[in-house]
Amino acid sequence: MVLLTMIARVADGLPLAASMQEDEQSGRDLQHYQSQAKQLCRKLNAQSPNRCTLEAGVMSFHYVLEHGVCYLALCEAVFPKRLVFGYLEDLQTEFHEQHGKKVSTVSRPYSFIEFDTYIQKTKKTYIDSRARRNLGSINTELQDVQRIMVANIEEVLQRGEALSALDTKASNLSSLSKKYRSDAKYLNTRSTYAKIAAGAVFFITLIVYVRFWWI
Amino acid sequence: MSNTDFSSQNGAGGPPYANGPSQNPVALQPPGPGYMAHQTPYNPMQAKGPMPPGPGLYNSGPYQPIPPVSSNQALPGQPMLKRPPMGPQHSMTPPQSASPNPGSRIPPAHATPPPVSANNYQHAPAWQYGGTPPMGAPPSMGAPPPMAMPPLRPVGNHMTSSPSLATPQASSAEYRATPPVFHNAMQPLGPPTSLQGYTQQGSAPLLMNPMAAPHSYQPVMRAPYGGPPPSVRPTPPTTGPPMGNASPPLGPKTDAGPLPPQQPGPPTRHMGLSYPSLPPGYQNTSAPPNAATMQHPVQPSTQPYSHPPPYQQLSAGPAQLSPSLSGLSLQSQTPEALRVVNLLQERNLLPLGPVTPPTPCLPQDLQKINCHPEVFRSTLTSIPQTQSLLNKAKLPLGLLLHPFKDLSQLPVVTSSTIVRCRSCRTYINPFVTFLDQRRWKCNLCYRVNDVPEEFMYNPVSRSYGEPHKRPEVQNATLEFIAPSEYMLRPPQPAVYLIVLDVSHNAVETGYLDVVCQSLLENINALPGDSRTKIGFITFDSTIHFYNLQEGLSQPQMLIVSDIEDIFLPTPDSLLVNLNECKELVQDLLRSLPQMFGKTMETQCALGPALQAAFKLLSATGGRVSVFQTQLPSLGVGALKSREDPNQRASAKDIQHLSPATDFYKKLALDCSGQQVAVDLFLLSSQYCDLASLGCISRYSAGSVYYYPSYHQQHNPAGVECFQKDLKRYLTRKIGFEAVMRIRCSKGLSIHTFHGNFFVRSTDLLSLPNVNPDAGFAVQMSIEENLVDMQSVSFQAALLYTSSKGERRIRVHTMCLPVVNSLSDIFAGADVQAITCLLASMAVDRSVTASLSDARDAMTNASIDSLTSFRTSVLTIQQPGLLAPACLRLFPLYILALLKQKAFRTGTSTRLDDRVFAMCQLKYQPLAYVMLMIHPALYRVDDLTDEGALNVSERTIPQPRVQQLSVEKLSRDGAFLMDAGSVIYLWIGRNCNPNFLTQVLGLPNYAAVPLNMNMLPELDTAESQRTRAFVGWLREQRPFFPILHVIRDESPLKASFLQNMIEDRTESALSYYEFLLHIQQQVSK
Repeated sequence: MVLLTMIARVADGLPLAASMQEDEQSGRDLQHYQSQAKQLCRKLNAQSPNRCTLEAGVMSFHYVLEHGVCYLALCEAVFPKRLVFGYLEDLQTEFHEQHGKKVSTVSRPYSFIEFDTYIQKTKKTYIDSRARRNLGSINTELQDVQRIMVANIEEVLQRGEALSALDTKASNLSSLSKKYRSDAKYLNTRSTYAKIAAGAVFFITLIVYVRFWWI
Repeated sequence: MSNTDFSSQNGAGGPPYANGPSQNPVALQPPGPGYMAHQTPYNPMQAKGPMPPGPGLYNSGPYQPIPPVSSNQALPGQPMLKRPPMGPQHSMTPPQSASPNPGSRIPPAHATPPPVSANNYQHAPAWQYGGTPPMGAPPSMGAPPPMAMPPLRPVGNHMTSSPSLATPQASSAEYRATPPVFHNAMQPLGPPTSLQGYTQQGSAPLLMNPMAAPHSYQPVMRAPYGGPPPSVRPTPPTTGPPMGNASPPLGPKTDAGPLPPQQPGPPTRHMGLSYPSLPPGYQNTSAPPNAATMQHPVQPSTQPYSHPPPYQQLSAGPAQLSPSLSGLSLQSQTPEALRVVNLLQERNLLPLGPVTPPTPCLPQDLQKINCHPEVFRSTLTSIPQTQSLLNKAKLPLGLLLHPFKDLSQLPVVTSSTIVRCRSCRTYINPFVTFLDQRRWKCNLCYRVNDVPEEFMYNPVSRSYGEPHKRPEVQNATLEFIAPSEYMLRPPQPAVYLIVLDVSHNAVETGYLDVVCQSLLENINALPGDSRTKIGFITFDSTIHFYNLQEGLSQPQMLIVSDIEDIFLPTPDSLLVNLNECKELVQDLLRSLPQMFGKTMETQCALGPALQAAFKLLSATGGRVSVFQTQLPSLGVGALKSREDPNQRASAKDIQHLSPATDFYKKLALDCSGQQVAVDLFLLSSQYCDLASLGCISRYSAGSVYYYPSYHQQHNPAGVECFQKDLKRYLTRKIGFEAVMRIRCSKGLSIHTFHGNFFVRSTDLLSLPNVNPDAGFAVQMSIEENLVDMQSVSFQAALLYTSSKGERRIRVHTMCLPVVNSLSDIFAGADVQAITCLLASMAVDRSVTASLSDARDAMTNASIDSLTSFRTSVLTIQQPGLLAPACLRLFPLYILALLKQKAFRTGTSTRLDDRVFAMCQLKYQPLAYVMLMIHPALYRVDDLTDEGALNVSERTIPQPRVQQLSVEKLSRDGAFLMDAGSVIYLWIGRNCNPNFLTQVLGLPNYAAVPLNMNMLPELDTAESQRTRAFVGWLREQRPFFPILHVIRDESPLKASFLQNMIEDRTESALSYYEFLLHIQQQVSK
């Protein structure tokens, strides 16, 4: 069962279209997944694998990257992967045909929200068990699902965070070492001054001593 | 937005709902104890019996002439700082340029000494003229230069006795309420006092409010006096001394000018004469500015404060002159709002045109960009510095909003980052200050924020480095396209669900035809895009769903008879895509009216139908339109009749204003949580318990429409009204899943909200749907002293999803000055806003406490504020009921409220009518509420193109607004009363036959049918004018007011006359009696 579908621009993670979850009655709190999906879209870039499945507990995200657009679906983990990717491919073809050229120019979120109508229709054909059987047979060799990379959503989302943490640590370190350097310099100068002062006192005492007692 | 925090709040019982009237028991007594402290309730006796306006009352004290004492003390507090010191020339200009009349109006005075009825006021200015040069009072008395008029005294007496006294007695029989004694007592004595009042206060604000001047003068320009030649004006100002000489030549020129206004006067005066001093009220309109103008030239001093004294002294002389002087500046709406008006003497309080809201005293550049008063209005345009000051003023502090109003132009900003204050999240607005190029200071919390890099670039001028030129900083009202951070879920599509009552009673009324026909006609005009969804549910004792799945040959009806535990018979295709299934939908709409033609089912299960609707829409959110024709009798939410028809007219307290069950409220809160709004159309002839049913709309931010006695055949006017309203309803703009937040400057806090919505957190209103016809009101208090603040700001931000699936934020910002003196607060009072806010508060009060409580509270509100004005602002005590000019309509409006359907007692009022009126008072925007409270009366048998408006190549005549009193009706005329949702055209028995034939197309009076609702389209100038005027009135509001043509025999005459609020009815006071009552309380 596809619970959530989202189409976003990879360059900046701007959502282009999405399908409303029709599943509110089941009481599942999709809000959390929704925000994860949004974060994920922002994390993805040209270097990310083109097709990937991300596990998120009992759910999994599946996405397809094509022509700078990310097609993302959230399903139960047990839902056949083959179907999901078939579904996403389907969306991809249609979306690219309808709006592909305009993707780079839009600035408003959900500019192609009307694509939702198509998403819902497609979703229905994939979910419908009778239709599914037919589709399944057609798509058997379409997807070599085994080769699709599997990763954990948390890892993907946190990868960026770890890097940024490293970055902050490194910059902390460098600033600390700078501070140490300046502190050391300061200490050096201070000790030099102290030495000079001590010498001066000694000589003055000596002169005084010579001046008053020697003569 | 999350649904979780909803459920926690919704689950609870009554009190937790932030909306509930119960939430804020103090609602009605907001600004302090004063409100309720003044509990001396209405004496029923007083209300019943005629007020004893005996001579004793008048002669005893109040009207004794009082020696003129300078009241300049009251003035120094005024914010005059902004005005440059006034040189003679400068001072002349504002009034001059603004009103052409003054110049012309004065001269005639000189020219017309004889006791023509018109002259009594005209002398006044003339006297001032004469007096001006010498400066001091005594000299002015002695030297009225070129006047044809002898000593002062005689003139004064002469006037009072001759024109006004004579007329009253002539027809006093007709007007029962006010005995003639009054006139005698009042006339001779009154003038000095009231004049006094006028002059001392009047002159000063006049000087000090230059900004308001042009604004308020406009009405005067349109006034019926034939526009005086502009050449006249330059003459009067010719500096002080020559003044006297200058005027005589002018006299003849403009002599004709002042007389026309009299024209409407005479007939009315003959009919009723409660106030002999009536005409002066408007005839003197333009004099004061002029007097002021005259004043300045002689003033050598540049210190503005020094102006009042000479003026006043000067007027002390003419004080004895004429009673009419008192009304001198009244109608001209002199720029000052503080001029004292003696309400007991001045009758003509209504301005010539619409009542204009006061302009806040802000620097010109800020005021220019301030939010439009139709969108955002404050009861006090000058905010008091402290709560104690506010308590002293005894005026309610609040805002009235019309946030989603249809606007002709609205700047829309698309930007990836919306600049907001980091701590209070205020949107950047025109009233922030830029400390330098890169930092701005929030005007609400005063935090200093950085200007983001993007904001430095101005897309309009394509320049860099001018953040203050950005549209966000140039417009007080604008709309942002929200970035994705403002969406918790993808924007929802437009979803419409129609829920129809198809029980026997409903089919009988024949409303199904109209609804289906309207839908068929407007199906392409429904706001939405390709995702728009639509669904239908009908119900009687069972619930019927319609499967409209694509591919079906015809709609499939699914009946669910288990109304105890309602379920959806099929998971999808009950709500279908409108574009894809249009054929099926049209099919269904065509067959629906016949489908239930022979039904015998009388029961009606509204509750379960609403539950089904909620289930159907909960996944997406959207709009449910419920059409209901009787009391729900089955399943949850069944109601019993609570109205006792015999109690309708009782003066005792009205019962059953609160809901009988909380089912509807709870369901509405669930709906609100799922972004579902329920609009209720109630078409019924019997009691339907709107008080209970209305909750479903109230808490889900829907709207309520009520068509009493709806029937296809018996009530064609109602059908037409319903049709027009439906069309507007179906095609108007709509916003989904909206929230509104109102922020205000630090120190102010909002404590009560009025309108249809659910308060989700302290200041966040949840509006599943928002429509352009919804108004809101809030009450505020001052928590921290606003010391050392020049101004405060208010910002309303409405985040919504348009029907095209765009998330948008509409932001309105208003800035108001802070003042620290009572007189400034009074000067900035907005009487209409105050009235509307009080009405909303009174509705809450009558639900939580009782109707009589609410009525008392309203009366006390006017008493308290006038008392406060009298004791705190006026430095000398004068007789009479004194009010600042800006509040002069306050008692009238309060009386109108007391006689409004919602609050009236003693007159037979159906409970549903009453409750509906209450809903409207809370939910309608200010402009429409004001018409409901105080209808506008126009004389239309003599419409001319003079002063007409030109709107898109149509000429729309602008008759002046008449007082709502039978005395204003004359039998040889035709009068149009615009009461907001209904327009009456009253035809006098001896109405001009020309009007009957040319406008109504009828041969004579007897041929006027009793139920005429249309003006025939005749090809005559009169007909065109009248229709243009009626059409123009209708265009100004979203809903469709029916026109009733009535004559003496019409059944509707009673409701027409009930709107004559200045008159006495069996159970309610006349305006004058009400004033006396207030005066008694005030002077206690």
